[in-house]
Amino acid sequence: MAVQSDVIDDAGPYDRAKALSAFKLGDVTFYWITRLSAISVLLILGGIILSLIVGAFPAMKEYGFAFLWTQRWAPSADPPVLGALGPMYGTLVTSFIAMLIAIPVGLGIAIFLTELCPQWLRRPIGMAVELLAGIPSIIYGMWGFFVLGPFLANTFQPFMIKIFDGVPVLGAIFAGPPSYLSLFNAALILAIMVLPFITSISVDVFKTVPPVLKEAAYGVGCTTWEVVRSVVIPYTRVGIIGGVMLALGRALGETMAVTFIIGNSFRISSSIFAPGTTISAAIASEFAESDGLHQSGLILLGLLLFVLTFFVLAGARLMLLRLEKKAGK
Amino acid sequence: MTDLSVSVSSNAHLASQQPLPEAPAKVTVRNLNFYYGEHHALKNINLALGTNRVTAFIGPSGCGKSTLLRIFNRMYDLYPGQRVTGQLMLDQTNILDPKLDLNLLRARVGMVFQKPTPFPMTIYENIAFGIRLYEKISKSEMDDRVEKALRGGALWNEVKDKLNASGLSLSGGQQQRLCIARTVAVRPEVILFDEPCSALDPISTAKVEELIQELSENYTIAIVTHNMQQAARVSDKTAFMYLGELIEFDDTSKIFTSPTDRRTQDYITGRFG
Repeated sequence: MAVQSDVIDDAGPYDRAKALSAFKLGDVTFYWITRLSAISVLLILGGIILSLIVGAFPAMKEYGFAFLWTQRWAPSADPPVLGALGPMYGTLVTSFIAMLIAIPVGLGIAIFLTELCPQWLRRPIGMAVELLAGIPSIIYGMWGFFVLGPFLANTFQPFMIKIFDGVPVLGAIFAGPPSYLSLFNAALILAIMVLPFITSISVDVFKTVPPVLKEAAYGVGCTTWEVVRSVVIPYTRVGIIGGVMLALGRALGETMAVTFIIGNSFRISSSIFAPGTTISAAIASEFAESDGLHQSGLILLGLLLFVLTFFVLAGARLMLLRLEKKAGK
Repeated sequence: MTDLSVSVSSNAHLASQQPLPEAPAKVTVRNLNFYYGEHHALKNINLALGTNRVTAFIGPSGCGKSTLLRIFNRMYDLYPGQRVTGQLMLDQTNILDPKLDLNLLRARVGMVFQKPTPFPMTIYENIAFGIRLYEKISKSEMDDRVEKALRGGALWNEVKDKLNASGLSLSGGQQQRLCIARTVAVRPEVILFDEPCSALDPISTAKVEELIQELSENYTIAIVTHNMQQAARVSDKTAFMYLGELIEFDDTSKIFTSPTDRRTQDYITGRFG
């Protein structure tokens, strides 16, 4: 006994309670740091919403709900007439067309990369997709302006008009005088910009499919296409939709490239080859020179984009829930 | 011969049967070699799976049992760098023919895996899916086929009221029987079992073993197992493999009572592996 206590004395003063309290202090600090970090997200989000509402309040009071379905945007009239219909329409249409193009192409690339691609081609294509994500949006804007715009106006649109001229709805969609700046141009650029999101997330989730599950599907005699359609995609549904939502969020809010090539016209035209505008493009191109009610109207547009994005993402979640129900989960 | 096998098997009435007469070969393996890249995984395998017989493959981990099984339906083809030489015939079809339609082959040679692999869809769809790949049949015919397959998988009574529930909602044992039912539904000729019970509890294992016995009336079966009693219970013939070689291949009762090779004896008595 005595020997033992000697040993402990030799090791220096040892106070268990003190060590424990030091641990406890560390734990408490850790707890509060993480908690504050989490709370700060809520504070930032709340602060942004609040300042948007405050800034938009004069416009809200002036225009009320009519703001949502007024197409006219005349900030220099007296009093200014402001309506959000044009930018809202442009935002939704460009994002919709962009997703229409980017989802199948993005999934196609992901399927090719994970299921079909020979090993040596995998890295080059994977890296190209990642590089696509790294290109600054202004460069997409310039490319859309100088290359894609002329091509669409001089070659693609006349071709489409030739095919669909006289067809009831489609004719109107492709009609109109050629313009370098158009909704469709912006939508194409958006599609290219969101493609890497969809592809890289899909590739990641496709890799999570257990090989044995795929083997089982091959084992009952499936072709690669059937395995992908019936096993890989259903299995990774949640992840894919997550990637699509992320891409959609990006498409709805993308500003710089779109401002460059959409033409900033608040008039709604039936043709996708006509110039238009999106909420973020409208704000970006007018905010610097705005004041008073005009500025408040632009802030209200920003608030609308916020709400729009929220509803689109909520809608996607709802769709996911219904899909899961259908799959019998 | 039979009296001794009782001591090995806990399921006496099955193992104590006289060995069945030699059956005509369904699958014939001749001088088969298999390589994972540089690694020579299977060395000169020769054997035959008898029609409507159960052939068990035993041996320590890494001896090549599963590898051999995965050649029978060309599953190895999914992965680059794996190649095979030799001859492998399913009846008159050369399984190793590069021009062979793999999907058709895999419809003829079904496979059940170690881990249950229900597809992410309803129980009904899990079965109907495979049938639909090759047959266009009406809804009512499909209902019949699904019921028959689920009865064949000894699962019908447990799931008949929840055919629209997800296949993933079943227990592990039920999932495995679902996978067996799914395999049977495609009407294959050969069924490969790759350690089908290693993830199951004893009761589910017993059910699956019983099922394998029943299936052997209509199908040619190959089963890889680490469970010696299981091999003794369900199989007619047993192949013992070691380090990529086929050491001994004979009637199950013979293998478990009087093996000719020293290594077989050591393995079945638990001295290594």
